[in-house]
Amino acid sequence: MSEALAIGAPTVRKREPGRLWIVPPAALLALLFFYPLALIARQAFLDDSGVANVAEIIRVLNSRFFLNALVNTVTISVAATAGCLIVGLVLALILAFVPFPGSGFIARLIDTFIALPTFLVTLAFTFLYGSAGMLNSGLMEAFSLPLPPVDFLYSTWGVVLAEVTVYTPFILRPLLAAFSLVDRGQIETASVLGARPFRIVRQVILPAAVPAMIAGGSLCLLLTVNEFGIVLFIGAKGVITLPLLIYGKAIQESAYQVACIIAVVNIALSLGLFGLYRFAAGRLGA
Amino acid sequence: MSAVTFTGNSVMDIDAAKVRGAGSNVYFDKVSVAYGTHVVLHPLTLDIAPGEILAMIGPSGSGKTTALRAVAGFVRPASGRIRIGATDVTDLPPYERGLGMVVQNYALFPHMRVEDNVAFGLRAQGADKPLIGERVKDALATVGMATFARRYPRELSGGQQQRVAIARALAVRPRVLLLDEPLSALDAQIRRNMVEEIARLHRSLPGLTILYVTHDQTEALTLADKIAIMRDGRVCSHGPTTELYRRPPNRFTAEFLGRANLLPVTVVEGAGPKGFATARHGDVVLTGAGRDERAGDKSLLCIRPQHLSLTADSEHTNRIVGTLREVHWQGELTHLVLDVGGTPVRVSATKLPTALPEPGARVPLFFAPTDTSLLPEDAGV
Amino acid sequence: MLVWSRPGRIVLWMLFALIFGVLFLAPLAVILLSSLADQWNGVLPRGLTTAHYADVARGAAWNSVKASLITGFAASALALVSGTWAALSLRLQGPALKRLLGLLFFIPSAVPSVSVGLGLLVAFSHPPLLLNGTIAIVMISHFVLISAFTFGNVSAGLARLSPDFEQVASSLGARPAYRLWHVTLPLLAPYLVAAFGLSFALSMGELGATVMVYPPGWVTLPVSIFSLTDRGDIFAGAALTMILVAATLILLLGLERVTKRATGA
Repeated sequence: MSEALAIGAPTVRKREPGRLWIVPPAALLALLFFYPLALIARQAFLDDSGVANVAEIIRVLNSRFFLNALVNTVTISVAATAGCLIVGLVLALILAFVPFPGSGFIARLIDTFIALPTFLVTLAFTFLYGSAGMLNSGLMEAFSLPLPPVDFLYSTWGVVLAEVTVYTPFILRPLLAAFSLVDRGQIETASVLGARPFRIVRQVILPAAVPAMIAGGSLCLLLTVNEFGIVLFIGAKGVITLPLLIYGKAIQESAYQVACIIAVVNIALSLGLFGLYRFAAGRLGA
Repeated sequence: MSAVTFTGNSVMDIDAAKVRGAGSNVYFDKVSVAYGTHVVLHPLTLDIAPGEILAMIGPSGSGKTTALRAVAGFVRPASGRIRIGATDVTDLPPYERGLGMVVQNYALFPHMRVEDNVAFGLRAQGADKPLIGERVKDALATVGMATFARRYPRELSGGQQQRVAIARALAVRPRVLLLDEPLSALDAQIRRNMVEEIARLHRSLPGLTILYVTHDQTEALTLADKIAIMRDGRVCSHGPTTELYRRPPNRFTAEFLGRANLLPVTVVEGAGPKGFATARHGDVVLTGAGRDERAGDKSLLCIRPQHLSLTADSEHTNRIVGTLREVHWQGELTHLVLDVGGTPVRVSATKLPTALPEPGARVPLFFAPTDTSLLPEDAGV
Repeated sequence: MLVWSRPGRIVLWMLFALIFGVLFLAPLAVILLSSLADQWNGVLPRGLTTAHYADVARGAAWNSVKASLITGFAASALALVSGTWAALSLRLQGPALKRLLGLLFFIPSAVPSVSVGLGLLVAFSHPPLLLNGTIAIVMISHFVLISAFTFGNVSAGLARLSPDFEQVASSLGARPAYRLWHVTLPLLAPYLVAAFGLSFALSMGELGATVMVYPPGWVTLPVSIFSLTDRGDIFAGAALTMILVAATLILLLGLERVTKRATGA
């Protein structure tokens, strides 16, 4: 594959046919990804006659459905990320520092959630917390209630809870990696010196966890902003996020230009978070 | 097609060379290497004779590994040419240079058995099956690993892996063997054995030219015919091993190759026909092996710690007196540190007078003019 | 060990069990249970049945499984080749271009899947590249979305590979193609298998881009599951989800075993 002889050659070589090997995969990516992306931007900014379409852009950006979706997206994303950070930290602390028989297996089990489809959790939540789900049936039977008492699933919080389940592994993984590097001797020394566990966590363990939490957290922000399956499956009328709005406008209403305008905003938001993640991960040395 | 042609040639060349008992020389012709604007190797001119072991030693960052990688073809010189035998290899890719290479971490291919590792180079060059079988057997036998042919590298100890790495490099019958810190990853005991083993190996393959890069002076002193001492991207001295040790041309060489006491002296009379000069240290006049010093020159008199004696004999015509500061007993050897006119002087003695002087005592030291060497005061590169 | 007292440890473990149970164990258990539930009006189902599996097997489910497996395999294989190719050839570039291209190859993982689908619809709905309505556009959308993960996995593998292996191979006379095939790729194999497995799993669960571009007759498992549950047939949806999970896990475990055997670890 490579004609390059010098791996890490210091001086720039004049004749380097090896450099051209990058062209096929780069061209494939350009054609299948960047070209469509550019067309989204073009369709968003120009109308069919090729004239800049400012009025339509302003109309969409000021519309109720767009602003509503934007607020929903950001709220869900921030809340879910905060939830992931808290749950992830608690689970990681216990798995790493108060291990129990089988904790390694459990950590791997949680890890496999990354490979499972996101909507699985939503579907399960329907059985658990839906109006006819286990929790509500149980409460109605136990207290002879006429109506299901628990009704958070079809709201923003249902989505947030589902996303916490799905994305906590993305925090857990870097945290466990960071904790595995914490010097056990430090913790033992601190204990011998009489520090209480809470103090050790705050002064020894948390500083080690901060970079992993920043990197994992920014990845969570990105993934939750982009999440589609969970929101679609919950299907609550009031909970529309940007990806769902793009789907609705393009497929259900065939309003492609509106969809493209929203997509540009969504992509810009995602790329900003991607930049944040890369920056954080770069600082981590990941 | 070119691979086959090349293989044919190189195998024949090398076999012929082996019959004649002469390998290829390696010639650095003003080779310099730069990373961007940072020069890591200043123009280097150096000839490694056929069948010679040249050890390049120096502190890390001195350019020794860069020089080796330039021969291997992983680093491209900014200027100059590199020749192996009659071939100018400067523009050849590594796989056409006909080399063997052993690196610090062995880099045995973990997915191949020992025999496949050793056969790798021959297979890559398209050699015939019977030849491969024969060469693999030979090479493994040479390093005493014949019974491990079916093992995987992870089933071997560090020392065994290193032997296989050497066998892998030898199986291609290289024109030049490049050893890049080959023993650094081994622990001290195994390292000593491996040094002796490499020396034995070279005796059985006298035609093999070896470039041996190390930071360990003991390995260099044990193995090398010649040593090049590198410092800050330059060769600061180069010569036959014993010569360089006995007559270091400058302070850096004297201190890097073994331990050295360097007494500041003023030359009284330059070297006569027998090569001895006289020089004054304070009030004491000493005789030492000189070069081209003239009367009045500031100079350093180099004496190795083991050449200083607490007792006089007929050879030991030089005498200096110092104040004893420290005594370290180490079993076979005793190390003494003295203060001679403000210069710390180390003595390694195997036999001591029965009444060992106490620290603070004035102690005379004796040494022979033949065990000394004058070197210029400001000779640091 | 951070907490020395036994009661303290037990309290923490119970907290762990609670979080793990509610967030991770309960959803999986409930999906499994509901896929087997006969009728479920109370806290627990009335009885167990395999009728839902039989139903989905009779319906279009088998076609969905096939569509998902073929899409996943094709997209992952393409992503593996392209990602490996990109990661390997990126090493030959200068540092500035390397950074830039490395970033560009990662960007598809950052863009929302729905937008990727939208972009493909916008770009490939007109001649000469009329792909809208074909199976290919589904595979392309999956390829785009997973390509960054394969690229990332292979790049990480390459970064961990000591340059010594390739340099020693070269010095022994191995030409670049020989070296690639006999040294670099075998050493990368665990990363390639892991990349393929992750890609496949992601493709099997992909929904956002698929709902934008799928043609009638190429309904992947997630889309099938969505239309079942959207129609209110959540038990059949659960059964199909279990099939999806089982297929994904069997594949991942199988690949893991293959890697273990190959590397002898």
